[in-house]
Amino acid sequence: MSAGAEAPAPVAESERFIEVDDDPQALLAAFCERRWCDGLPIVAPTEARVRAMLAGRAPERSLGAMPPLWRQVTLEKLAVNAVMAGCEPAYFPIIVAAVEGMLDPTFNLYGVQATTHPVAPLVVVHGEYGRSVGVHAGSGCFGPGFRANATIGRAIRLIMLNIGGAWPGRHDMATQGSPAKFSYCIGENVEASPWGPLHADDVVTVFGGEPPHNVNDHVSTTASGILTTVADTAVSLGSNVGWFMAQSQLMLVLGPEHAATVAGDGLARRDVQQFVFEHARLPLRILKLSGMWGMHDWPLWMQATRDDDALMPQVLSPDEIVVFVAGGPGKHSAVVPNCTFSRAVTRPIRS
Amino acid sequence: MGTPAGLIGTTAFQGLAVSELTALGAAGLPLLVVQHPLGGERPESVARRAQEALEQLASLIGRTA
Repeated sequence: MSAGAEAPAPVAESERFIEVDDDPQALLAAFCERRWCDGLPIVAPTEARVRAMLAGRAPERSLGAMPPLWRQVTLEKLAVNAVMAGCEPAYFPIIVAAVEGMLDPTFNLYGVQATTHPVAPLVVVHGEYGRSVGVHAGSGCFGPGFRANATIGRAIRLIMLNIGGAWPGRHDMATQGSPAKFSYCIGENVEASPWGPLHADDVVTVFGGEPPHNVNDHVSTTASGILTTVADTAVSLGSNVGWFMAQSQLMLVLGPEHAATVAGDGLARRDVQQFVFEHARLPLRILKLSGMWGMHDWPLWMQATRDDDALMPQVLSPDEIVVFVAGGPGKHSAVVPNCTFSRAVTRPIRS
Repeated sequence: MGTPAGLIGTTAFQGLAVSELTALGAAGLPLLVVQHPLGGERPESVARRAQEALEQLASLIGRTA
């Protein structure tokens, strides 16, 4: 679509079955024409493949209605999109759990779908089930290269497009969107975590986040050094976090080497949360320079602050900083700020 | 009978609003549409939009502002 033009309405949304030549390019063209896909090649969601994805589950069972068009989220529709994304049937319980989390009012999926912000649901898979089906938590976990991560994340986006109806420029009003909107799924690297798992059970966390912000620190040999770099990465005048406090959250995905350095100084997960809470701050005088000044939504104690040198927090408590380990060798971590109108939700995987 | 209600939005979000109202079974709900963008505008421009919005509102509720 050319710049500035509004996307036309999708065509023939009510078609239940279509016939397409048995040819990958014809299939892609047919689905792109109907605005049923993300623009990348898909696997044809034939009846047989959808049945295999459902694995005996009731196709008509609904998880609820998905905004912004409030269509019913049946298991059959989820299975269709999971097939299209290239998922193995073993991934399906993870997708169901993620969608259940997204439909929790706490997640505010309407806001996540329709906002101008580039938010995408980051799906974090915890527990043995995810590991057993190949959800990758090591080197390059944010992608590319790992089928489970790529296709589970892609299935979530196709579900948001095709069931929720969040077509870019029409019902998904993201000003620019982001690459994370194609696919955004990782595992928790428990083996590399000095603090054990964030969640030991088979659960999925969905987090309405920006793409990962890189934390590069090749020098620090102390927890203080690493976490100071983390805290600096977590503050930005361009972030929603820090302005709209009630639902501001940060996700800190520590690389194994950074985590080892931090834990080597005796810090527990709670200490990491506390340190980042205390140090990820900007002085009031700097915040007053920003374009969001005047639109901010702060609690009264922050509004009452008059000292321009006072350091203002990004989130309201250490509990609003989610900390776990993922990734492989190297001196990088990631901070994922949320969109500030959605909160992280965790749901069990029922295989 | 409920409370009379309408929706205020900017032109860029009119399509989303219409789809949303239709999906929720409220297709007839009046829309008060302000020229996009509103954020980042100077106060005089915001005042002009507000006056235009007031005129729309008066029209929607059937009386003069």
